[in-house]
Amino acid sequence: MPLACALVGLLMVGCGGLQPEDPVQALRQGGAATAALKTVTATLKFTKGTVSFQGFALVGAKAKVRLPSDSDTTYTVRQQDLQIGLEVVISGGRVYLHLPFSPFSEVTGKSAADIPDVAKLFDAKTGLPAVIPAGRNVKYDAVDKVDDVDSHKIEATYSPDQIRGMLPQLNSSGDVHAIIWVGGSDHLIRKAILSGPFGDNGTASSVEVDMGGFNAAVSIATPA
Amino acid sequence: MAPGVTAKRPLPRLLLLGLAGVGLFVAALDAYLVVTLLPAMIADIGLTIDRFEQATPIVTAFLCGYVIAMPLLGAYSDVRGRAPVYAICMVVFAAGSAVTATAGLWSFAGLPWLVAGRLLQGLGGGGLVPLSLALAADLYRNAGRTVALGSVAALQEAGSVFGPLYGATLAAAAASVGGWRFVFWMNLPFAAICAAGLLIGSRDRPSASAPAAAAIDWKSASLLGLGLGLLVVALYPDDPNNRATSGLLIPVGISSLVVLGLYGWRQVRTLEPLIPRELLRSRRFIGASAANLLIGAALMIALVDVPILGRLVFNLDQLASGLLLSHFLIGVPIGALLGGLLASRFSGRGVAVAGMLCSAAAFIQMSGWQSNELTLHLASFRQVDIALGACGLGFGVVIAPLTATVLDLTREQNHGLASSLVVLARTMGMLIGLSALTAFGLFRFHQILGTPQLTDPGVRARIDHLARLVAAAFLQEYREIFGIAAGLCILAAAVTFIAIGRRQAPASAGTTPAD
Repeated sequence: MPLACALVGLLMVGCGGLQPEDPVQALRQGGAATAALKTVTATLKFTKGTVSFQGFALVGAKAKVRLPSDSDTTYTVRQQDLQIGLEVVISGGRVYLHLPFSPFSEVTGKSAADIPDVAKLFDAKTGLPAVIPAGRNVKYDAVDKVDDVDSHKIEATYSPDQIRGMLPQLNSSGDVHAIIWVGGSDHLIRKAILSGPFGDNGTASSVEVDMGGFNAAVSIATPA
Repeated sequence: MAPGVTAKRPLPRLLLLGLAGVGLFVAALDAYLVVTLLPAMIADIGLTIDRFEQATPIVTAFLCGYVIAMPLLGAYSDVRGRAPVYAICMVVFAAGSAVTATAGLWSFAGLPWLVAGRLLQGLGGGGLVPLSLALAADLYRNAGRTVALGSVAALQEAGSVFGPLYGATLAAAAASVGGWRFVFWMNLPFAAICAAGLLIGSRDRPSASAPAAAAIDWKSASLLGLGLGLLVVALYPDDPNNRATSGLLIPVGISSLVVLGLYGWRQVRTLEPLIPRELLRSRRFIGASAANLLIGAALMIALVDVPILGRLVFNLDQLASGLLLSHFLIGVPIGALLGGLLASRFSGRGVAVAGMLCSAAAFIQMSGWQSNELTLHLASFRQVDIALGACGLGFGVVIAPLTATVLDLTREQNHGLASSLVVLARTMGMLIGLSALTAFGLFRFHQILGTPQLTDPGVRARIDHLARLVAAAFLQEYREIFGIAAGLCILAAAVTFIAIGRRQAPASAGTTPAD
């Protein structure tokens, strides 16, 4: 047994030196590191099920976020087999929409409220920093590389209320299973795969979220 | 023959021609099926509708492959035999199909990967066209040859009949096993069967498998292929919002002219040039080539614009837009057969001119289409279907007379090259037509649409409003383009009438008839 432990230890040293740690502690550190971010970029890719956005099937989204409240998100939606990019800029509390072939125009009232405010995902009290450490059934999977960064791969489960608490537009009819990669040295959340009944009509869906550009310069211009 | 050795009977020529035709049909399916699969293909590699022009290379790469392969492989088969070269083409076509089918599956397999696959498909498929036509010309003579050529042309165009429908239907049926990707995977077994069948079937037929004695001018063939390929790149509209042609128009265009100039220089100096000088001096050859060029440009307008119009203006789905185009495509092979039969009895010139005028009349009707056009009927038929059918019929009718005009001017051993030149001219017309169409279309679209200010209260209402404005702009743009297509057809008819005289007796081996 001691020999086996030694071999495992040697293998881990050979794999880059990151040691497994308490998954709850890793998630807590991940939440804290995320709460301290000034800017971040995120890419979402839906790999299973159908999630609708404004009546269109959502294929994915790319967001640039400047905290606490500015974001520039391009939602890629699909109608039949045509893909359309809808760009939403939220800046200074105002919501602007950019449709193909047309300039930005402001959206107000209920229509504006229906559009997800991506920056709120990173709110320290209600967003990912608060929700991520509160997962259930937390389990350490492995040391894994994400974009050449040694990361802790951790599994956890979140309730529908926890998910909805981050963004009111995120609805799930059951628990959501998450696989989360937390950076070993900077503790930043680099990637997550969420699976659960959050598709249209409570169908099973899966989304892959890649995060990067931590505290890098981002340009979010307020449309004239 | 050694005593006791029984001579093997060669396979009937109809069977050989049938085998070649089936392979040609499979390749033709792929030339046209992208017309209906394109939206799904570009979506799967991550392109959105406002970057639609970036999908142009998916079509032009195939045509580019055609342009490069045809003069090389047509001439090569004149020396190496039709069947071995045919098998090589099929292998290249199958490899291109596999590359195309895997586009978008990995992060590195994006648009360039897809374009590379289509280029390979075009290189393989491009060789099959002149090979099949040349095989028909090798196996049949006189009036029988015209019918055989018409039949081969009909098979090729039959690919266009079934291509869009075959692609859309198969992709829908195979949605759970890859959708549009499955359509391209299906090419692999087809290619294997056709290549093996023709190789085995033509073993004992010297005219189909044994090399001729003459040598080909490889350098000239390569220069011609390279020069034309560079011309295609120079004409590619890489930024159609700002310019009509490639940003590399000047350097690549000059390179193309230099390479084509080198080819011309060799042509003058070489005793047995790749393209016989008599052919280049022939008014009928130049007239037939110019007419084919114009026909290719007009043909491309119908092939590309009708399905897009169906999707964006008439709100049809993938399958229904394929069905709409199929009325045009059904007319083409019927016209090709009809043209072959008519040209063997009447003046080829008259038949070709009548075909072009038929298409021109149809395009004029299409230039007045309204957004509710699908609801308008003449007797129990929809007006759109009648117009599209007549348009395709006209295009089909001109194939055999124009091909026969060029073949009549060449020796038997040059039929491969001559057949290549016929299709080459049409494909070049398609390329130039697509280039000009994309540039003009996008320019007019933005002019008509302007900068719509969308102030509807809801997001969905704004999207619906924009969709209506875009549909109206597309309709106006395509009406103008159909008008241009009518002009191209009338010009092709005029060129044919002036340049092509009464049909002469076909050239016998060793002679090239003068005009």
